[in-house]
Amino acid sequence: MSDAESRTERYPGYDVLSKRDTPSWNAKTRAVVDERLAVGEEDHRFFSDTEWQILSALCDRLVPQPPGRSARVPLAALVDAKLQSGKGDGYRHDNMPPMAEAWQRGLSALDAEAQLRYGQRFHDLGPRDQDALIAAMQDGALDCAAWGGMPPDLFFHHRIVPDAIKSYYTHPTAWSEIGFGGPASPRGYVRLDLDRRDPWEARERRDGDDADAVRRTNERIGR
Amino acid sequence: MPFDSLRRMSSGSPIGHGIVPGAVAMVGAGLGAGLLGWWLTSQRPRARREAHTHRAARRLNHAASLLGAAVMADSGLEHFRGDYHNRAMFAAPSVAALQVTSSMLGAVRTPSRWSTARHAAQVSAGLTGIVGLGFHTYNVAKRPGGFSWQNLFYGAPVGAPFALALAGAVGAAAEHLRAADPGRAEILGQPAGPALALGTAVGLAGTVAEAGLMHFRGAFHNPLMWLPVSVPPIAAGLLTRAAFVGRGAIPATRVWLAATAALGFAGTAFHAFGVARNMGGWRNWSQTLQSGPPLPAPPSFTGMALAGLAALDLMEAQPGETDHVGR
Amino acid sequence: MSLLFGQGPADVTPPSDDPEREPRARDGRAPDVMRVGGWTPMREYNEDEEVDFVIVGTGAGGGTLAAKLSEYGFSVVAMDAGPYWRPLEDFASDEAHQSKLYWTDPRIVDGDNPLQLGANNCGKSVGGSTVHFAMVSLRFRPEWFRARTLLGYGADWPIDWREMWTYYGEVEQTLAISGPISYPWGPKRPRYPYRAHELNAAAKVLARGAEALGIAWTETPIATLSAPRGLAPPCVYRGFCTSGCSTNAKQSVLNTWLVRALAAGAEIRDLAMVGQVETGPDGRATGVRYHREGRWRFQRAKNVVVAGYAIETPRLLLNSASARHPDGLANSSGLVGRYLTVQGNQAVWGTSEEEIRAYKAPPSLALTEHWNYDDDKDFHGGYCYMAQGPLPTLWSSTLASGRGLWGDALVSEMGNYNHVVGLKNVGEYMAQERNRVTLADETDQYGLRVARVTYSWCENDRAQNAHALRFMGQALEAAGGVHDIWEQTDDTCHLNGSCRMGSDPRTSVVDADCRSWDVDNLWICDGSVFPTVGGVNPSLTIQAIACRTADRIRTMATRGEMRRKVSTR
Repeated sequence: MSDAESRTERYPGYDVLSKRDTPSWNAKTRAVVDERLAVGEEDHRFFSDTEWQILSALCDRLVPQPPGRSARVPLAALVDAKLQSGKGDGYRHDNMPPMAEAWQRGLSALDAEAQLRYGQRFHDLGPRDQDALIAAMQDGALDCAAWGGMPPDLFFHHRIVPDAIKSYYTHPTAWSEIGFGGPASPRGYVRLDLDRRDPWEARERRDGDDADAVRRTNERIGR
Repeated sequence: MPFDSLRRMSSGSPIGHGIVPGAVAMVGAGLGAGLLGWWLTSQRPRARREAHTHRAARRLNHAASLLGAAVMADSGLEHFRGDYHNRAMFAAPSVAALQVTSSMLGAVRTPSRWSTARHAAQVSAGLTGIVGLGFHTYNVAKRPGGFSWQNLFYGAPVGAPFALALAGAVGAAAEHLRAADPGRAEILGQPAGPALALGTAVGLAGTVAEAGLMHFRGAFHNPLMWLPVSVPPIAAGLLTRAAFVGRGAIPATRVWLAATAALGFAGTAFHAFGVARNMGGWRNWSQTLQSGPPLPAPPSFTGMALAGLAALDLMEAQPGETDHVGR
Repeated sequence: MSLLFGQGPADVTPPSDDPEREPRARDGRAPDVMRVGGWTPMREYNEDEEVDFVIVGTGAGGGTLAAKLSEYGFSVVAMDAGPYWRPLEDFASDEAHQSKLYWTDPRIVDGDNPLQLGANNCGKSVGGSTVHFAMVSLRFRPEWFRARTLLGYGADWPIDWREMWTYYGEVEQTLAISGPISYPWGPKRPRYPYRAHELNAAAKVLARGAEALGIAWTETPIATLSAPRGLAPPCVYRGFCTSGCSTNAKQSVLNTWLVRALAAGAEIRDLAMVGQVETGPDGRATGVRYHREGRWRFQRAKNVVVAGYAIETPRLLLNSASARHPDGLANSSGLVGRYLTVQGNQAVWGTSEEEIRAYKAPPSLALTEHWNYDDDKDFHGGYCYMAQGPLPTLWSSTLASGRGLWGDALVSEMGNYNHVVGLKNVGEYMAQERNRVTLADETDQYGLRVARVTYSWCENDRAQNAHALRFMGQALEAAGGVHDIWEQTDDTCHLNGSCRMGSDPRTSVVDADCRSWDVDNLWICDGSVFPTVGGVNPSLTIQAIACRTADRIRTMATRGEMRRKVSTR
């Protein structure tokens, strides 16, 4: 089983959006999620085209998505949207610049490190080299001048995690992928015990389950 | 007083309303009482032309059908909530369905050769109830905390299978009476009327305990929730007294039993209102029917009250025999 | 019709107004939080009118006080920098969107263990953080009110625990707390108004672990309804509690105390950011300067209550420095902003063989206070720990930050989401003078200097973290069927203690009545008055103190003691 398949096959047939018109979603939720779903994969207003290329490459490594996925999470565009909104997290380390500046500096520093180490732009590197750079950033083991004193590990923990990684899991595609029940109001849940699910929750394919049977169960959700 | 309590139930917080839902509940209660009155009066003319034991048997059949129907619907719903995780959970609604069918056939005077089959259906319902009691007790015991309030509230309700056992017992009593000599009807070696009265009193007490537990879980948030733990116990007490005292106690007992019977139907109306008070109300029925107050539960009171009324009828028809009880 | 079909219609159109931009509470009305599009009458006061009390902040401290004081007949204007939500129409079932409930204005953090703020511990809404709190409503252990004398650490409170016991009861009734029939620890308490909720799977794992280790556990007393109450329906177990409750089952300050405050004649001003408490020539407070609807304004008041929680409260007092109060208001002790004390929030997580689906129901339905009441341990203070229910984005950042996962490793681990189960503690950190709130040079959107929050753990904090992690790890292991157990060590929770109360003006900012030692018509009523923080969530205690303060104010007003007599000591 390929990686892509294993990711979709744990909850085969489950699409959290099939619950959109059930009592699980209220009007406000539909409005909010619709807006998110309207974000296009190439939408960006905050980042320059150069930054965008680096960011897109970075996002592809932070949360790799199966090739050919029909409902891809436009991760880089979600990051861009968050930066457009200017809404922060409510705190900042004293050796970190404000959010917008941190991103601009962080992306150009990552690119500079790529050129320094490999003589190539970050987005032109192979996945293995990109991953090596990301890991080094996470460990705070990068130190070229482009960081401008911003600790790379703090950039990872306090910008990449909240702005990029978390953003991936704001998307319904990600909810379906992990079998999350998704929005739940006014209808919440009834069956709370271990190994129990309500009829409007995703059925997980467990050992010995017939994938098609599980798929049929999941495709009934929301009907 | 009713309006006062209706207002209060909706105004526990500073903002409240309550007239409309209150009125809905009252209309439901009225309907229930009306139906019951209609049923009671409709029995009279035919009643004079048949043996009193047969009449009582038919009444018991009605009581048993109602009890069984309540169990069927309630266990069907609650076991759905439990996802029919254990196949044995299908037993309760299925056996209850059989028991209801048998009781209804009994009430419409089917050939007496069917009696054995009907009797067997009733007994199997009674036994299933007892086995269910065991299952439910085990379910509670094995949860973390054992016999704690948490598990009594949210584990398999220990009292619920008791209702199926009662339905079977009442149904079996009906078959027993139909077959008995009208002059000397006995149950378990005692005169049928008083024995049935005592049995019904015990059944009512159990039903009260179940409602009390569940309403305690709901923190008696609505003052009307006190009704099923105050009216039926009085009826049960009077019924017990009637079993010993005899005819003199019957009229008052009849009134309280009728009130209990009406309460059973009204309870369903109240519970329907309770469902509406859950988030999303009836529009969110797929959740609120399960997590709101159970619609089918309250008519168990009606079933038990009807059995009690049948016991009183028997006692009226067999005066004097009450003296045997307990000797 | 809607009455027949019940509340919270699923298909209401979102509101046309934007409560984040335009104030809702004005023109003689405030939002009726229990009804879609609803309004309720609100009394209004002129800015020139010297109201009895202006309260800055409408959370657990300020909102509670606003209700009590207005019910006692005082004229009250309560201001909040945040919007006035109607949960039924404004709240989505969406973690990201609901971050609108958090205080996300800039703040700077530093120290050896810089705090994480925002989502975790700061609200910007009418109703304060209680709009997104996890509803855990616990009483302090009585000994904590005399921690220095009886337990040998921290400081004694100037309040007797028996008095607090009464006020705890009042708050529990007001919030219709759902709790266990009998509570396993501490002195007897009255029965909780509502019964405990059904345990979800995550809570059952906690119970299994506790039973295996032979310690007591119980259902968490929690401020969400287990049965209907007024217009509020019982909890539907949707699990978005810390993203705001869209059904009103959560009993927050927004839908309890503030409803009472409005009914009793208080005015609530939303989107009103207070920048300065002004003082007169005699040094007493004269009112507050605040920003609303695009400009700065001034509200006169006989008394000012600062209730902005443990960062905004000292920030406001420090930003209110004047010639007469050069180091900030109420700061003759130099302690405004000092002794900021958070609580440990260490966690162990694992993967269960059984499906947990911790996104269902309130996250912390079971807890144990064992280590709050057992003193046989190698550190001061105590902790409780609770079941957890992280939603997807929170869980992804926990894995990324706490465990360093990203890329395929993250994706693969997120696949186990429905099997994740964890235990997280609320631990009593020590009050240290060096942990503090100061002003940074940077300014915010109002032109006010932002807070700098400095935090470092002490040895005792570390010892407690280690103990909690070890014990919770054992408990999760003992629960059975849980694998790949790991520790998350980077989190803290709650903010307290930056304007501590005490019985000596030299070592505290306010007295037992939450009144400033320096300015006798200035009061502080929120978590910042805590001298010690205990090992339980603070909201119940904050509300209980507010109730007590209101009673004391009424008593003092009756006796004509609202002006403090000059001390002859």
